[in-house]
Amino acid sequence: MSRVWRVWRSAVVTPAAAIVLGAAAAAWAAAAPGVNEGMFGFALSLVIACVAGSALRIALAAIPLPEDSFLLPAPIRAWLGFLRVIRVPPWEEGAVIAALWLEVLHPARPWHTAVLGAVLTAYLLAVHLADSGAPAGTLRPQAPVLAAGVGLLALGAGAGMLPAVTPGGGAAALRVVAAVAVIVAGGLVLPHVRTAGEPGRRRADPAASPAESWPPSGQAS
Amino acid sequence: MPPAEASIPLRWRLSRHARRLLTLGVAGILIATLSRRPEFAGAAAPALLLLAAGRGTRPPSVGVSVRSSAARAFEGEAVRLDLSVTGAGDYWVRWTLYPGKGLDPVGSSAADGPRSRLLVMPERWGRRPMGTLELVLRDRWRLTEGHARMNLPRLDCYPHPADMNTRVVLSRLPNRLGEHAARTWGEGAEFSGVREYAPGDRQRSINWAASTRRGRLQVNMFAAERSQDVVLLADATADVGEPGSSALDLALRGAAAAARAYLDARDRVGVITFQWGGTSWLAPGLGKRQFYKIIDSMLSSDAGWSDGTSFRRLPRAALPPGALVVVFSPLLEQRFVEALRDMRERGFTIFVVDVLTAEPPVRPRITDRLARRIWTMEQDAIRFSLRELGIPVVPWDGEQSLDLPLAAHSRRPLTGSRR
Repeated sequence: MSRVWRVWRSAVVTPAAAIVLGAAAAAWAAAAPGVNEGMFGFALSLVIACVAGSALRIALAAIPLPEDSFLLPAPIRAWLGFLRVIRVPPWEEGAVIAALWLEVLHPARPWHTAVLGAVLTAYLLAVHLADSGAPAGTLRPQAPVLAAGVGLLALGAGAGMLPAVTPGGGAAALRVVAAVAVIVAGGLVLPHVRTAGEPGRRRADPAASPAESWPPSGQAS
Repeated sequence: MPPAEASIPLRWRLSRHARRLLTLGVAGILIATLSRRPEFAGAAAPALLLLAAGRGTRPPSVGVSVRSSAARAFEGEAVRLDLSVTGAGDYWVRWTLYPGKGLDPVGSSAADGPRSRLLVMPERWGRRPMGTLELVLRDRWRLTEGHARMNLPRLDCYPHPADMNTRVVLSRLPNRLGEHAARTWGEGAEFSGVREYAPGDRQRSINWAASTRRGRLQVNMFAAERSQDVVLLADATADVGEPGSSALDLALRGAAAAARAYLDARDRVGVITFQWGGTSWLAPGLGKRQFYKIIDSMLSSDAGWSDGTSFRRLPRAALPPGALVVVFSPLLEQRFVEALRDMRERGFTIFVVDVLTAEPPVRPRITDRLARRIWTMEQDAIRFSLRELGIPVVPWDGEQSLDLPLAAHSRRPLTGSRR
């Protein structure tokens, strides 16, 4: 892979993908005919603000901040102050919570929620790649876990679409408990499955491979 | 510097990526429980599975070795830091250097890998801490981070000596073997004349051409080679001008250059640093080690204040009689100028290198212009009075070689006091 493509990918492609996925999650959570009451407007404003803040943070992340800005002109100091402020709030966490809140305001639509969960997961992974500058291949070892997660996602959506056996809250709560129990079980089993494949996993991390050379050929940025 | 390996405890915490995934997972489970809609638990599943699968054993501490290529460096000289960590296992290692004040990282301030190398370069002389080193260990999925911070050792940054190859030499040199040609006859290598042969003269010193011309035996005469005592006087009372080329910077660089040049000529060199509140001094000595002692002594002026002795009460060892005193000063401090006059009256041969490169700013107001003119006249008067006392004053801007301002005085011996 050429150096130009690596720079292009880490500077443009991955951040753009994160921004697009954030916007898509907000649009998907907001897409609902006929729901415009209560806290819907506020939740929608919140998710838009958080996604926009996250996009700004990701887009401006490469601009370095000088240690000492005391002698700089006022407009540049204001710009540096804006850069400092934009990097502090947890925009992505806010966007996730606001998107889920927006979704829960809608009537039950399990397949729609499942897609939203998948888009939010992809959004968080893309933000992580944009922050770390790592290639998408870094996620390859996590693919089996993500596949299991997608399976549970489909299972949760299917459980939501099943009709309750008896009327009342008990059956619905039981469905939730069952879904959570499956996730917990998966979470408990997965580390052991991963440890069983220990010899094979050492070679799979492309992000760690450049760091093994000595004497070092160059410094990372 | 030997490698200092130490066991450093790590502080483990979730990465920002893990916190985001945890937010999605917890929010999904919470909403599913409250709204009794299992599809939200399903939406949280991928994030929670990633967090669960990413768990691993975390080393509580690692062994860190930091080896610096030098504990002392000149301005603009890169210092190498070789870093290595043991016990990190499969964790991805990142080093980040936060350099101390006055130090610049060369290239990047961060490096990856269990063994890495970073470079720092001191911008300006002084004794300064090298900074702080941060070590971050990340797991393969970058869900947890182990942080450790360590302070790096101190770096003594020496002023970069200016270019100086010629030397100002006294007309009367002490009776000590050296490399400067004296005015007296001796066993040196420099031809100084011929005289009539006297019994006891060596036959190989007969000048046959002169003997043939005069009809009597003539022998060659050679100048004696002597050394001198040189005392460098650095004025650290005023630090005016741009940082990096201020009067104090120039004074220390010039003094370092003079120390190197005179020590190379086998002269005994000492230093006196004149500061507010007193002076620090080093008796004249010989050799390479003396050069570093001189610079170490001058670096103490970085502190600004010292509890040294009064300038008039310096011991005899600091100012040996008959020594050449080379002064590097902006001549802004009146007490320092008075001290120079006093030394001259006591019979010392003094040579002043004027390192003042800054002037008051030019402003349109008449009072400002008047004040500037008065200041300029005062400065001219100070230099004139010193010249009247027989103290040469040569300006030096710090950019050109010191040989240029010294040229007029290095071609012939400097005359001492008439007393």
